[in-house]
Amino acid sequence: MTLNYIQNNKDNIFKEWLDRLKEDSDETITNVILDQNFETYGRELVELAILKISGKQDEYERQSENFSDRMVNLGWPLRFVVNALDIFGDVVFDEMVKDKYIRQENELKVMHDLNHWLKAMNSEIINDYTDSWERTIANQKIALQELSAPLIPVFEGITVMPLIGMIDTERAKQIMENLLQGVVKHRSEVVLIDITGVPVVDTMVAHHIIQAADAVHLVGAKCMLVGIRSEIAQTIVSLGIDLNRIITKNTMKSGVEAALEMTKRKIVPLEG
Amino acid sequence: MRIPILKLHDCLLVSIQWELDDHTALQFQEDLLKKIHNTSANGVVIDLTSIDFIDSFIAKVLGDVIEMSHLMGAKVVITGIQPAVAITLTELGIGLNNVLTALDLEKGLEKLHQELGE
Repeated sequence: MTLNYIQNNKDNIFKEWLDRLKEDSDETITNVILDQNFETYGRELVELAILKISGKQDEYERQSENFSDRMVNLGWPLRFVVNALDIFGDVVFDEMVKDKYIRQENELKVMHDLNHWLKAMNSEIINDYTDSWERTIANQKIALQELSAPLIPVFEGITVMPLIGMIDTERAKQIMENLLQGVVKHRSEVVLIDITGVPVVDTMVAHHIIQAADAVHLVGAKCMLVGIRSEIAQTIVSLGIDLNRIITKNTMKSGVEAALEMTKRKIVPLEG
Repeated sequence: MRIPILKLHDCLLVSIQWELDDHTALQFQEDLLKKIHNTSANGVVIDLTSIDFIDSFIAKVLGDVIEMSHLMGAKVVITGIQPAVAITLTELGIGLNNVLTALDLEKGLEKLHQELGE
């Protein structure tokens, strides 16, 4: 009954719905609506609602997942989609009242049915959204982990680990693991840890660095700390951190030179 | 089971192949010192490549052995400590700071000869 009504008056409902959306939208939402594809997608949303109402569960699920994936990719805000669904419900109801489709005796039933469909659809869309967010976050986490402690062999026996950004306990653990595994894998004699990109070196970070250096010593290589900026040198000394056991250099350049010297090599200019 | 100690020119080679228990570790300490005395070796290489786990007692015994060997005039190089072992040791606060270390047996022997000035 309701289904028939919606299907017959699809265009009407859609127009009214679009008007109302435009009425009570703020800037971000207006941008979404102004998108030329919006009408296509809007229609799709309506079709989806009809599909849901008509009870074709399988097809609905397939299309809905597909649809919400695209929504997320397009950057449609969730609150907009939810709001749009709400308004869709209102519009259908108002139109029904206007067309005298709803009478006193069936009002409750139609309301109930409508609410039921909308609620189910709402929660499904929210689920799809959160799923896709969780996926994104998980992917980003993996990417972040891969980027957090890279190890680069530069010469035979010399490896560099550039660190950028804050170091917390979790990351320090990862740094340590990557560092040691890399040293063993590349058979390095000297490892340079570059902290040019580390904004703050406090006691905790220093502690982690000292631990890493100790562990590197245990596997049989030497650890050198390079890229110590003046303010970092100041904090290290004023915090009373003892870095005497680690060889320190101010730049990567002097670090590499020292590392080459340790492995009995040097860089000479070509003659002629 | 005793840990075999091999003589190579003026060096002693020890490869520890299985997890040490407390008794074996102490036995090893005694054996090694006796061997150093008998052969008057100048250097010792202890290879830990196949060891995946070291507890604080074994670490202490190793540290002691190294110091004792030192007293008897033999330099010790520890080689092949696994990354996981290195992490555990540093977390236990055992840095073995004054001990020579090397990546593998080959580099260990190289380092030993360097230290002995050959």
